Amino acid sequence: MASRRSTRNDNDQRVTFSRPLFIALLVVSGALIAFDRPASRSDAFGAFRAGFTDLAAPLLELGAQPIRSVKGIGPYFRRQGALAEENAQLRQQLIEARYWEDLAYRQRDRIEIYEDALDVETPMIQDRIGAWTVADPQGPFVQARLIGRGLEAGIRDGYPVINLYGLVGRVYETGRRSARVLLLTDLNSRIPVMADRSNARAILIGDNSDYPRLEYVGRVPDLQEGDRIVSSGDGGILPRGLPVGEAIRTRSGEWRVRLYSDQAPVDFVWVWPYQRIVPPDQEPDEADLELPPAELPLIVDTPDGETDAEPEAAPDAGADDGTAPDDASGDASPEEQP
Amino acid sequence: MRKPTDRQSPWLAALGCVLSVLLALVMQAAPTRLVDGVNIMPTWPLVAIFLWSGVRPQFMPPIAVFAIGLTQDLLTGAPMGVWALSYLIAIAAFRFRGEDGMPRDLPPVLLRFAGTLLLAHGIAFTAGSFALEQMADLQPLIIEIVATLLMFPLVAYLVLRRRRSGRSGFIGG
Repeated sequence: MASRRSTRNDNDQRVTFSRPLFIALLVVSGALIAFDRPASRSDAFGAFRAGFTDLAAPLLELGAQPIRSVKGIGPYFRRQGALAEENAQLRQQLIEARYWEDLAYRQRDRIEIYEDALDVETPMIQDRIGAWTVADPQGPFVQARLIGRGLEAGIRDGYPVINLYGLVGRVYETGRRSARVLLLTDLNSRIPVMADRSNARAILIGDNSDYPRLEYVGRVPDLQEGDRIVSSGDGGILPRGLPVGEAIRTRSGEWRVRLYSDQAPVDFVWVWPYQRIVPPDQEPDEADLELPPAELPLIVDTPDGETDAEPEAAPDAGADDGTAPDDASGDASPEEQP
Repeated sequence: MRKPTDRQSPWLAALGCVLSVLLALVMQAAPTRLVDGVNIMPTWPLVAIFLWSGVRPQFMPPIAVFAIGLTQDLLTGAPMGVWALSYLIAIAAFRFRGEDGMPRDLPPVLLRFAGTLLLAHGIAFTAGSFALEQMADLQPLIIEIVATLLMFPLVAYLVLRRRRSGRSGFIGG
């Protein structure tokens, strides 16, 4: 029978599944699994991963283009009948939004005046970095997105990532031209949040479901269904006030969050440059900080009650006896300002 | 008229193998969730590895299987080695042996692929849970298995058809 005869060339007969190589590769795989755990990943492994995604990002971007071009086709045909009605609603909302836009501009101006008066600079006014999703791996081990901007665009590990509706996650692996975003739904995601209404604190913990759960809410949490959940800023990991979602209660009494960011596919996102607030014990060494100019006179109380102006700066003098003069703190570095 | 030797160009077959594996890896990582209703992604790299190891085993030595698995780990953000280990063991256990290689009928191919798929995902679940230091999510794995089982017959049918119609093998052969 012609179709049953061997189809291999003579050369194919020499092909074997080499046992020593196979065993060696098994050992290598096992070693990689042991050393590349997300909880204890070394910098070298992290750099290798980031370098690889940098190389793969253009190819993935190419693969994402056709998907991006057809993404609106399904909803368009399915909801054709409702589009006219939706259009009318949107026009009405646009009129209302113009009032809120005007109000927002006025509020922004007022805030700028107050901030100037108080000499306060909030991190929220920094520019956001826009990026497209280039890969969306759907695996059991990680819920992440790969975005097509990296270190060169100013993205760093830990920066929060938002879409039009709310917080998506945060950057956890940064390459030169790509970065990986850990979603709020991932098993390893832990975000300090609070209810906007009551300021009740909780930790938002991802469990690979669409609705991450709220933990550490206390015995009698001041939460209600529909409460707006925002980032609390606790621990300095994320800025305070980023919209996350709304609280929902399951039948078992567990609190979970319906994410705002789920209202649309995570395609275009903004990365929010945010300097993590460092605890005092982790601040840079005193030598690294900018010292006050030497020519500024320090006001030092002398033991006999007189006040002398010393011409030389003595930054350590106050620190040693714990009586740092208030006037000297006026030259503190920006990190020390509120 | 083309000579039979032209049809047996190993370079064309090798190119087909590389391109199909690349396509499978890109599809695996592509942001398909952007398209409404497409939330299920079959394990395309395993499909490619399995079919090529049956049709052209010389293109799928252990090092190639390992490299594909490792690339999938890196693209999907999974701990390195998880899919590499899974594919290696599963393909080693269920690859076609013997002179005829992969049979030309669909049912035995499908059956063997189901075994490969289940073993690969079982190992991936165990290895992934070990790496994450907590139980990995079983639901996406099950969805992947079902989606792959649903999609595999179509791809396998096309490959087997091409193989039957070809003089002595698959693309270029």
